[in-house]
Amino acid sequence: MTPPTRRRLLQAAGLAGLGAAGLSACGSNASISDDPHELVLWYWNRSASPELLEEAATSIPGSDSHVRADVIGTTFDTKLRTSLAGGAYIPDITYINSNNALYFRNEDQFLDMAELGADEVKDDYYPWKWDLGTTPEGRFCFFPLDIGPTGFFYRQDVFEEAGLPTSPDEVSAAATTWEDWIALGTELLGATKARLVNTGRHVYDQFLNASPERYLDEDDAPLYLEDGSAVREAWTTAVAAIEAGITAGIPDARGPDQNAAWSNGSTAGHINAAWWAQILQESAPDTAGLWRLAEQPVRPGNSGGSFAAIPRTCKDPEAAMAFIRWINTPENQARAYEDVQLFPSCPASFDSLSYSGDFFGDQDPLAFFSKAAESVPSSFISTWESLVSGSFALELDNVESSGKDPDAAWDDAVAAAKKVLTKRGVLS
Amino acid sequence: MSATTPIAPSAAGARRTDAAVPRSHEKGWRALRAHWPQYLAISPFYVLFLVFGLFPILFSIVLSFTNWDGMGKIEFAGLAQYAYLIQDSRFWNAVGNTFIIWLLSTVPMLALALGIAFLLHQNIRLRGIYRVAFFLPNVTSMVAMAIVFGSVFSDSFGLVNSALTAIGADSIPWLSSSWGIKVTIAVMVIWRFTGYNAIIYLAGLQSIPTDLYDAAKMDGASTWQIFTRVTVPMLRPVILFTVITSTVGGLSLFTEPQVLLGNEGGVGEAGMTIVLYQYNQAFTQFDFGYGSAIAWALFVMASIFAIINWRLLSERDRTPRAARRSKGARS
Repeated sequence: MTPPTRRRLLQAAGLAGLGAAGLSACGSNASISDDPHELVLWYWNRSASPELLEEAATSIPGSDSHVRADVIGTTFDTKLRTSLAGGAYIPDITYINSNNALYFRNEDQFLDMAELGADEVKDDYYPWKWDLGTTPEGRFCFFPLDIGPTGFFYRQDVFEEAGLPTSPDEVSAAATTWEDWIALGTELLGATKARLVNTGRHVYDQFLNASPERYLDEDDAPLYLEDGSAVREAWTTAVAAIEAGITAGIPDARGPDQNAAWSNGSTAGHINAAWWAQILQESAPDTAGLWRLAEQPVRPGNSGGSFAAIPRTCKDPEAAMAFIRWINTPENQARAYEDVQLFPSCPASFDSLSYSGDFFGDQDPLAFFSKAAESVPSSFISTWESLVSGSFALELDNVESSGKDPDAAWDDAVAAAKKVLTKRGVLS
Repeated sequence: MSATTPIAPSAAGARRTDAAVPRSHEKGWRALRAHWPQYLAISPFYVLFLVFGLFPILFSIVLSFTNWDGMGKIEFAGLAQYAYLIQDSRFWNAVGNTFIIWLLSTVPMLALALGIAFLLHQNIRLRGIYRVAFFLPNVTSMVAMAIVFGSVFSDSFGLVNSALTAIGADSIPWLSSSWGIKVTIAVMVIWRFTGYNAIIYLAGLQSIPTDLYDAAKMDGASTWQIFTRVTVPMLRPVILFTVITSTVGGLSLFTEPQVLLGNEGGVGEAGMTIVLYQYNQAFTQFDFGYGSAIAWALFVMASIFAIINWRLLSERDRTPRAARRSKGARS
């Protein structure tokens, strides 16, 4: 046998290359896995309990399929949208973050889970969370995973030093309206130089998150133009807080500064969701026992919390639905809370959960937030909200950081919002 | 033996085509057929470039004339994206920011790099260690860098402000004021690329003949005089090269503001650069038509700079007499 010539080798390599190209061309179908009993789930770190996913990897209870869970890293939405747009390598089940309204424009990409029997378990979940998963067309495409009921976190030691009310009940009673809450902050500032929150934007965001009305209605009509609209009220409240000097003016981009302010008590409070307790515990461990939770003025809101959806190309929608229902039973949501602190969207989950810890002294944050979750109002988040919310936040930052005139800032925010809505064809 | 066999037929093939004198595209096809394994062997790069380089570039031209959210229908929009771009104050704010940061970073960076290269060129101890040390920032992870810079320039608890207050000066809101943000980003760029440019200058310095220095020393020139009268003029082409690369880098500035301030460009969008705005519009607002239009606007700006640079270079390369002659011919 003669040794192979260079030409032979090149030809062989070429054929191998062609073969590989041909093979990959054949693999271009909508599904990721060729196994008809393997459903691929896309999720991100800490959005599902690894323990439960491991069980589903063997089999989904009540079906002969199993789940292969793929962790998708950063830019989750871009990756999901790319596969949906390309019509290839689409997961059979996908998690979607609290920005699920972004997908309303393309809701036909997802199956209506009401047709798959999701309604049978509707009563197990907080109704406002269920509503957030319903599209403007009335299709139920986004199944509740976790939620983020909000409350007012405050440093009891700093409040005590300032001679303010200290127990959660007293603080809640002292600040049932935003005016009272700002007055409380002014008193705190006068007594200790400590600020109540880090930015006016936090006040603005959580005011809106607790409001039944937001930027646009279901017919894409802007609501913020009217006097007394929720956006305008939130803006006025935030500006009042800024002008009273009770905000520290440390924007979110300066995370280390924010954490330092909460640690050393120069900022003595924050309004945020249940999941923030975990973040606080990790970023300011030295303040354990000093924090307490009081009710948010007026009513609690919801910040964050994700959903599960079934893309229309799913190879076995019944099995996918079975998986989503199984991993979100009250018992399993309770397990997910114990495993990765996902705050349950089933009221019944709390029956089997108990809190042991002293970060909030003798206060039980689980009891606090599960009670708050009951009063979160139902609201509608428009698919266009993410286009306009940025201009209001940006202008509010301008008021806070560079002393821009609030009225001019409001006008600029409204003009910017109008411009971008017109550009995208929402307004004509 | 095996090495000579493939050459013979191809040489014969070439002779045959010469004899037939076919039209040029036929000749190309024959050559392709004769040498297809070789072409196939170099094809991976071109295939990848076509798919991930050329196609997106061409597709973005198409996209810039459409409305597309990355998922739904692509709708033709004519010149609407460009018309919006012209009157979009956020875009022009980004253009302004980009140029200010570019000026704030490039001028001190190149001056520093030149000085460092000059010092590294001297006969000093541990030269290799210094060279590595100055180049190291260029290969450091940007994300880690942003965390360090975020802490160093932190308004209330940062090192810089602690130092300022220690010497009795007022602290500066580095990350929440318009100029503070720009200076911080410029410092990040300087920190990252000074060493890189210094290495390039060093290579240029080493190609300058030593007899020029010897002659200057013989004539009694001081170190400063040698630097300004010998080194800098001899380095001119290298300096122009670094100016061009810094311009390209400055116009496409993205990573530093993105990791330091996030996708929104910080307070008042003071750190919003052109590419960050493009990314923001395409990948957070899902307006791919507009993102593409911004990309092509950036291309036009970069082209203008390239032409200016090219003009400067070609002027320098001409001999004085040739330059005079061409001037005479033009008038």
